[in-house]
Amino acid sequence: MSTCTQIQDWLGVQTGISSQAVAAQWLQLQIQASRLPELTAALVRDWQAEFATLLVEEEESAVDACLAVYYFFYLPRNGCLLEIQIRVQPGEELPAISETVHAADWHEREAEDLFGLRFTGHPFLGDFVLHDDNWPEGVAPMRHSFDGLHHPKVQKDSDTEWSPPQILREEGAIVFPVGPVWGDFHESGLWMLETPGEQIRYLHTRLFYKYRGVEKIAEGQTLDRALLLVERFSGAAAFAHAWAYCQAVERIGGCKVPARAQDLRLIFAELERIRHHAANIAEISGSTALAVAKAMAQDIVEDLLRLSARLCGHRYFFGVLTPGGLHHDLDPWRQNLLAETLPSLDARLHELEHLLKNSSSFLDRIEEMGTLSPELAQSYGVVGPIARASGRAIDLRLTLPYGAYATLAPTVPIAQEGDGYARLRIFFSEIHISAELILKTLHQISAGPVHTPCPTFEGRALAWVEAPSGATFHWVHCDAAGMVLRLRLGTPGFRNWHAFERAVENAAFQDFPIILATWGLSVAENDR
Amino acid sequence: MSFWPYFGLKRGIKTTSWPSAKEQSPGITPGRPRSASNASSNATTQLCPTGALHPVETGVSVDLTHCIHCQRCRQGPHALPWEDDVAWTVNAGTALSPLGYRFRRSLHVRYIDAGACGACINEARLLDAPVYNLHRLGIFITASPRDADVLLVAGPITNAMCTAVRKAYSAMPHPKRVVGMGVCAINGGIFGENFACVGGLQKIVPVDLWIPGCPPPPLAILHGLLAVVGRTQCTTAEELP
Amino acid sequence: MLYVLAYLLFASGPLLALLPGRRIPLIFAWITMTAGCVLMIVQGALAVGGPVEQSLIRWALPIIGTFDFVQTPLGGLLILITAVVFATALPFVTRDATVFSTGRRTLFLAIVMLTLVSMIGFFSASTIVSFIFSWELAALAIWGLITFETRHSKPVAAGLLTMALSELGSLVGLASLLLLAGAAGTTQLNGIAAAIPHLSPMLLLITGLLAFFGFGMKAGIVPLNVWLPAAHGTAPRSISPILSGATLNLGLYAFLRIDAPIALHQPDLGLVILASGALTALIGILYALVERDMKRLLAQSSVENMGIATAGIGAGLTFAAYGHPLLGGISMVAGLYHMINHSTFKTLLFLGAGGIEVATGTHNLDQLGGLMRRLPVLGGFFLAGAFAIAALPPFNGFVSEWLLLESLLRVVEIPVVPVRIAFAISGAVLALTSGLALTCFIMLSGSALMGLPRTAQAAGARRAPHSVVIPMGILTLLSLLLGLAATVIIPVLGRLAAPLVGADPTATLVPAFFHNTSRIPRAVQQALDAIGAHVGAVFMPVRSLIVMHLDSTAPVVYAMSAALTGVVLALMLGGVWLVARGLRRRRSSRNILWDAGLARLRPEMTYTATTFVAPVRVIFAGFFHPHIEVEEERQGAFVLTRSYRGVIANISDRAVLSPIIGGAMAIATLLARMHKGRMNTYAGYILLAMVLLLVIVAAGRG
Repeated sequence: MSTCTQIQDWLGVQTGISSQAVAAQWLQLQIQASRLPELTAALVRDWQAEFATLLVEEEESAVDACLAVYYFFYLPRNGCLLEIQIRVQPGEELPAISETVHAADWHEREAEDLFGLRFTGHPFLGDFVLHDDNWPEGVAPMRHSFDGLHHPKVQKDSDTEWSPPQILREEGAIVFPVGPVWGDFHESGLWMLETPGEQIRYLHTRLFYKYRGVEKIAEGQTLDRALLLVERFSGAAAFAHAWAYCQAVERIGGCKVPARAQDLRLIFAELERIRHHAANIAEISGSTALAVAKAMAQDIVEDLLRLSARLCGHRYFFGVLTPGGLHHDLDPWRQNLLAETLPSLDARLHELEHLLKNSSSFLDRIEEMGTLSPELAQSYGVVGPIARASGRAIDLRLTLPYGAYATLAPTVPIAQEGDGYARLRIFFSEIHISAELILKTLHQISAGPVHTPCPTFEGRALAWVEAPSGATFHWVHCDAAGMVLRLRLGTPGFRNWHAFERAVENAAFQDFPIILATWGLSVAENDR
Repeated sequence: MSFWPYFGLKRGIKTTSWPSAKEQSPGITPGRPRSASNASSNATTQLCPTGALHPVETGVSVDLTHCIHCQRCRQGPHALPWEDDVAWTVNAGTALSPLGYRFRRSLHVRYIDAGACGACINEARLLDAPVYNLHRLGIFITASPRDADVLLVAGPITNAMCTAVRKAYSAMPHPKRVVGMGVCAINGGIFGENFACVGGLQKIVPVDLWIPGCPPPPLAILHGLLAVVGRTQCTTAEELP
Repeated sequence: MLYVLAYLLFASGPLLALLPGRRIPLIFAWITMTAGCVLMIVQGALAVGGPVEQSLIRWALPIIGTFDFVQTPLGGLLILITAVVFATALPFVTRDATVFSTGRRTLFLAIVMLTLVSMIGFFSASTIVSFIFSWELAALAIWGLITFETRHSKPVAAGLLTMALSELGSLVGLASLLLLAGAAGTTQLNGIAAAIPHLSPMLLLITGLLAFFGFGMKAGIVPLNVWLPAAHGTAPRSISPILSGATLNLGLYAFLRIDAPIALHQPDLGLVILASGALTALIGILYALVERDMKRLLAQSSVENMGIATAGIGAGLTFAAYGHPLLGGISMVAGLYHMINHSTFKTLLFLGAGGIEVATGTHNLDQLGGLMRRLPVLGGFFLAGAFAIAALPPFNGFVSEWLLLESLLRVVEIPVVPVRIAFAISGAVLALTSGLALTCFIMLSGSALMGLPRTAQAAGARRAPHSVVIPMGILTLLSLLLGLAATVIIPVLGRLAAPLVGADPTATLVPAFFHNTSRIPRAVQQALDAIGAHVGAVFMPVRSLIVMHLDSTAPVVYAMSAALTGVVLALMLGGVWLVARGLRRRRSSRNILWDAGLARLRPEMTYTATTFVAPVRVIFAGFFHPHIEVEEERQGAFVLTRSYRGVIANISDRAVLSPIIGGAMAIATLLARMHKGRMNTYAGYILLAMVLLLVIVAAGRG
């Protein structure tokens, strides 16, 4: 709290902006749009503030409605969350902040596409979430006036036909497309490699081939049904996203989750992290054609999935969480099963790690491959294991502790190189740390109920979780009847894909799938 | 010097003997609800957020093409019995017969992600894990629909992927079969039909088989692929008590 | 007699162009000039089959000496080739001349004819005086052709470079000739050749090398080859076919004429020629691979082909010097054959490039693409030319390159280890060159003809002119004939090679039984039986069996039948076609292109020439030594544009010319106070100096 006063004072003295604390370590301030770039730049420069997420809400359902734009920042050193509110009148333009706060780049492009919000000074707006070849110009689907049930008519016009972006000026260079359908079981997305052949000079990712409009279709649904959506938009990290959503609903309802439920949530979340990372390791091994290592990792993934199914009925933790706790308790027999199974799984991962680290031909292919320098990592505000492999010691479990992490803080592994090998090491370290954390929690698990009824009020709240792939921020706004008015899913994938573009520069063609695997990013999590 | 082949051999055989023998390892499937002659059929039906349960005269029927495994009907006083089988494949209603004898041990599959959440993808990726090993059944994944006999599609079919699915289907040589995988592919699942999702594969290409589930576990997918060549049998989508 | 008539026709052509009007005078000019060419073709063909030497003109000039022209079979061959190239290029030349005013088009055609006339003279020269006179006349005419479109600055620079290097080469070659003449005591080339056995080996080596590098400059032999792509690439588009197809042979003929008698007594010279040829071929094709400009690419490829021909000549001379005139004859035949082949397919390709330029307005490969659809006939002939130059059967490039590689393997007959090593390395280099040439011409034809059009120019290509397409068809047919009728041509070339290497390979190596199976010697029959081979009934018009080596024990038999290959190939393709047809009849399906599910495949996404050869650029990065400048335009954290500008300087520029130019510039600054003239003046000085030198030498002797 004291640190929040520090920045509150600084804001008051240096910028003359008044702010009010809405909750512990949560500062709210309203400013004029014109002051935004200068303020956010100062926050990032002087306070090392991290950009959390950007969200837009339409005030009323009228056509000329005002837009409320929220910029969320947090200070990792102080654990203080800043909410900057701006009201945008119809027709008004917002100054883009992504020139300095580059992490906001994609957020601004998204807001432009989905809300029709204009940003001045952003060089690359248009064709982002909504693809030009299959969406009419000027229709903003997140506006209330847009009918979310039907796809708008597209006029086929050859003049407005989409052409790939090109920033490379080199004689004879082409845009080499990878995707949208490619590889064996790759997620759909279009990666356009700008190249004169052999070497990749620049990469444009064109994602959102999998855009399912989750944020739009959640509107008007019950909180429980929205939970099902949040669980299912990114299956690889279903528990983490559901947890963040439940925390937001709990914050609105003001309900206190029982200690046992908090412990169990931590256990499941860490189990999911282990499985997520193990699956990434399988993909990395597969991308370097190391079939045996891939098989070993897949074996572990399958055993983890079976363990999940035995613990809570579902291989991907679907239908486990509910606002106020968990649907079902973990009985002693299952606790025992987990305590007995996990150490052997961790030992197998240790063995795999040892084998991989001693396989020089494998290391040759991932060392100095897909490097994201600490400077770029900072500028792009990457999160999760990607950030920690590039020297950024950020982890919401430590900086903005939630749930049981307040008392059971994990250690955070850091690597400086930012290359494929650094990421592999981080994946392995996090697996071991998570296993340790699970066993520790299991050892001192609280007794009592796993669910408390959670009342519904009209309200809005932001909640966060360190998902397997990094910081996730979900915003829920619901009415008193428990209907969702606005759901915002600020996912780590959305942050990290943005920076992925820069990691393949100067790599060779054939290394692209390897780099992609070492980043281990989910397209579904990005596309929503 | 690499000893990887040795490490591999050291691990022994991990592959399941399914489908020649029953596979009952715990956790191999999330299981799914079965219809029951339940007295409190209305209360049970209300547990389901997706309308997969219907009250019928004899009890509660389960529409497997709508069940997303939310587990709401698994425990409690009005719970339905859940069963751990993997024979989930249902006929999509086309009159196409299974592919002929020549495909029984050489079936080439092109997988397309049309908005899948990651769980379906992960289960599909595990098909070539040693435990399931689709190659032993003569099933192969191809990079191009040109070489494919089966189009396996997951996800609620987003609008942006429609072109790709259509093109892949028309690029395939005859005879071809289409399998929709996961509840999303059948009817959009929890995402339904909306401005961004077509919600249902059969709206853009003719579908032969559905593999319901959210997600269908690897053995259920294998069951579906084997059903394409008539090596396993389909069931019906609506389960009556 | 034919000469006089032909020369009159050549002279009347440009004069007819003076008539007022646009098309008619040029058609008349074209008819007379082509008629002249046809006469020269006849005369060349007669000379090839004619006596060893036949005197044409013999003037004894005061001071300078005898001014002699004779007709020889080898000279006849070159006249034949030159006349064919000119005849096929003339339609395009006259077509393009329509853009000039009456006076200028006459001048243009006159220079073209001067080039032809001086070349014919050069190929008949028999004394140093006539040799050098025709050489200089040709150099002047070529310079005139390159710089004819003076409104651009580049041709001027290219022309000056050509002129400067040509004069440098001439000086070096002249020095060699004068040394030889001084030592031999005669200006007759035959006299010099007769005196060579009595000269010191050191003098022979020096004069041989001077002649090779001096005159070889004209053929693009390293190190003095930088002028070639610059000149041929920037010359008027209708002139490029002539420059590459015909004038390069000047260099080959020049050093062959001077060096052949020397190399027989100085084995090292042949080795140097072989190694330089191989190196030239490799360097040429490497630079061709990184060119984007079609004309420059073809010019670089000319360097490669001249290298291959040179290597054949070098190998032939080496074999001969080591006492294997028959093997030498085969290599020499390969070299000469390749020279002929190059003239046909290079003229064909340059005409194609010109036609593409007419149709699209550009010759930059990265701006083309998809032309096969718009220009199917031109594209088909162009593709045939690419096949031929990439040494794919049944076209002619295959025959000469295969023959050369085969003959290089016979180095095992020479017991000297360094020679074997030199042959082995040269052979490997030439094999690599062939592979790279294949890559290069897949790239050329692929990026120009296939795929999607990358620019509006390529998409809206106009019809190609008949003046390009019809000659291309003739040349394609010629390429095919030269490939299929190899066994007819090889004996002819063998006869031409005989005076160069001391023996006619084919008279000995293709024995009489080859034409009549009943006369197969018993030993040969037994040897054939032993390997299970037999000479069957005559079912082919031209059978091909070449015995490359006959010694006391057993013949080594090589069967090389391009005609048979052609038939087999046709049968195979036909079979495949029939099978495919049969299969298709059973079930036919036409599917869309699988583009990974993109909404539409865009031209920006298809391979360009640059991207296609990127692996070569990466592998040979150490050789190309590219200088790359990277520039980034940013807006805060955004990267707006990123430019890569790569400059690849020619290795002879880097390693040879730059130091020379540096030195010359240093001297030039010293002289700058006296001379403030233009570059042309300096070229003039060199000419003057040479004439003076000639006069002094001649006077000294007189």
